Amino acid sequence: MRKLWLIIHREYVVRVRTRTFIVSTVGLPAVMIALLVVPAYFASRHSQHTVDIAIVDQAGGLASLAAKRLETHSLPNGEPEFTVVKTFETPADPSSTLDVLRKQVLAGKIDGFLLFPSDVLTGASAEFHTRNPGDFAFANALADAATQAAIGGRLAQERVHVSDLDRVLKPVKMDVEKISGQGETREKGQTFQAAMLLAIILYSSLLMYGITTMRSIQEEKSTRVMEILLSSVRPFPLLAGKILGVGAVGFTQYLIWALAGAGVLTYGAVMLSAFSAGGAAFHLHFPLGLWFWFVMYFLGGYLLFASLFAAVGAAVSSEQDAAQAQIPITMLLVVSFVMFPVVARNPGSHLSVALTMVPFFSPILMVLRIALDAPPLWQLLLSFGLLAATTVVMVYLSAKIYRVGVLMYGKRPTLVEMIRWLRYT
Amino acid sequence: MEAVTFEGVTKSYDGLTAVSGLNLQIRQGSFFGLLGPNGAGKTTTLRMLLRIIVPDLGKIQILGQPLAAATQDRIGYLPEERGLYPKMQVRQVLVYLGALKGLTEAEADRRSSMWLERMEIADWSERKVNELSKGMQQKVQFIAAVIHEPPLLVLDEPFTGFDPVNTAAVKDIMVDLRDRGTTIILSTHRMEQVEMMCDSICLINRGRQVLDGDLREIKRAYGKNTVRVEYAGRDMLDLSCFASSVNRFGNVVEAKLRPGVDPQQILKALVARNVPIARFELIEPPLADIFVEKVTTANA
Repeated sequence: MRKLWLIIHREYVVRVRTRTFIVSTVGLPAVMIALLVVPAYFASRHSQHTVDIAIVDQAGGLASLAAKRLETHSLPNGEPEFTVVKTFETPADPSSTLDVLRKQVLAGKIDGFLLFPSDVLTGASAEFHTRNPGDFAFANALADAATQAAIGGRLAQERVHVSDLDRVLKPVKMDVEKISGQGETREKGQTFQAAMLLAIILYSSLLMYGITTMRSIQEEKSTRVMEILLSSVRPFPLLAGKILGVGAVGFTQYLIWALAGAGVLTYGAVMLSAFSAGGAAFHLHFPLGLWFWFVMYFLGGYLLFASLFAAVGAAVSSEQDAAQAQIPITMLLVVSFVMFPVVARNPGSHLSVALTMVPFFSPILMVLRIALDAPPLWQLLLSFGLLAATTVVMVYLSAKIYRVGVLMYGKRPTLVEMIRWLRYT
Repeated sequence: MEAVTFEGVTKSYDGLTAVSGLNLQIRQGSFFGLLGPNGAGKTTTLRMLLRIIVPDLGKIQILGQPLAAATQDRIGYLPEERGLYPKMQVRQVLVYLGALKGLTEAEADRRSSMWLERMEIADWSERKVNELSKGMQQKVQFIAAVIHEPPLLVLDEPFTGFDPVNTAAVKDIMVDLRDRGTTIILSTHRMEQVEMMCDSICLINRGRQVLDGDLREIKRAYGKNTVRVEYAGRDMLDLSCFASSVNRFGNVVEAKLRPGVDPQQILKALVARNVPIARFELIEPPLADIFVEKVTTANA
């Protein structure tokens, strides 16, 4: 027991001090935050200036309606988002009017012009002419204004008079309520974001720490320090110490991230929402039950995959062989990753249920399902029971392969050879 | 009491017998040589003693006890394939390996300092292992084997990688440990070292022991049947008419006499031929010769 502790301790201390650990602990959240914040920041920067446009209305009666609608939009700094510098109602010479406007756009005098063709009320498209079509994040506002103007125009044709078109056309918003064991909660996409975040964290950490375990074992083997260790400690505590030590490193990393994340949620969200709507993305939703199952599936999944990776690390003699031999195990994780959308779209389907019963997929996919859906308790227990049982069997088999493999040098063993090792005493 | 006993120990891998019916008694406080050609089963034998692998048949005892976790801590091991954690500090590696052998960390630290001083690499104790030269790494590895002062020390080719100065230093430490009661098992191909150091030996070939016992008795059994001539110049008499085997070195010839040949005949013939003799000696056969002879007859 003391030796097991010594092994865990060494593994932990040595790993936590490496540059890789520090870089990944600090770097990964930095990259994630950057991915969320930077685009939101630039998106918000885009519409920081008022857009000057002209409206050419060949149908008649639409320009003022559109202009009125556009003027309801304003920038975060209070300035209007659009200024309609000029409107042309049924111009006598459309082509020369358009020519003039084109020249003005090219000269930078206006940002663009909105064109209602004469048959727009019977189905033709409105057009927005601009120098830089890809740059305009406000196309939605223009389309909305054009639609509203067209509706106004059509109502007028039907001789329906509406004094406040905005009020009549005010859309009804749809709130999605998530039903779970804890009652109902307002859904704003936060469940989905939380689910994906957890699934991605599980995927990357099972892969990362599994491979770390594998390389650590392979390193002890190739540096031949293994022989001395085996003269002092039995193979099983050596393997267990390695897996638990690397696992503890992973937990430390999570703890740091969780604390930093709590900090970001508390202070950062306020700051972020000040300059972007993206701030809402931080308003994630993690019920207690989800946390519980996340931790359970992480532990089960980690032990399962770490023991699989450990067997590979023990069986091979070189880093190149390890890179090859790990592929089948990595593929199991990749399958989970590829199945994300399948489970996310329909967490209760037969396929989703089946996938979450397979122990090699359940650590990631079941957490995804729990986050999105409320799987029946029997499915939870069955899935976790299968995972736990498989993990116990795999740890046992891996220990057997480890015991023989660490003494075998030379060419990479075949699967048949590894199975034969299981029978060695 | 015997430090180590093997009784009918057998181990095979996938039907290939690595060690078969091995019986050994190693006296406490002695130097024991485990000899044999490459692939004879030496490493398998040592690994079974160290409880790294388990024999299929037979019984191994250490200091009167069957192998167990506790006996593992009473053995020090220097494997033939050397290796330490390359990126750990020398002192940390030693403290870790010492602690794994049952020392407290404080005690392991104290002994690391003492041994690093004794091996004259104390200045390097805070460096990483991979910053050390090969020879220095060997010293660290040797310390790792002896740091817990085990009553039984297993050294697989202990002198490889050492220059003559360090070889002498390591040999002195080994003799000193032996004098203080440590039993030392040497596995090596360097016959002259075995010949000078070991009290008893076991020669194994293809997993079977072909010779074992007290080294002096083994040699005495062969008798003084070999003539050793040291000479100057190139002009040497061909001794093959007197000898069943002749072993020529640069300026030494060793000839194993045929039955009935009197060494005097050779001396006379050499004098008659006017060979400039520096030394003429009647000796017991060198261990290397016994080794070669035994292995060749066993393989024949």
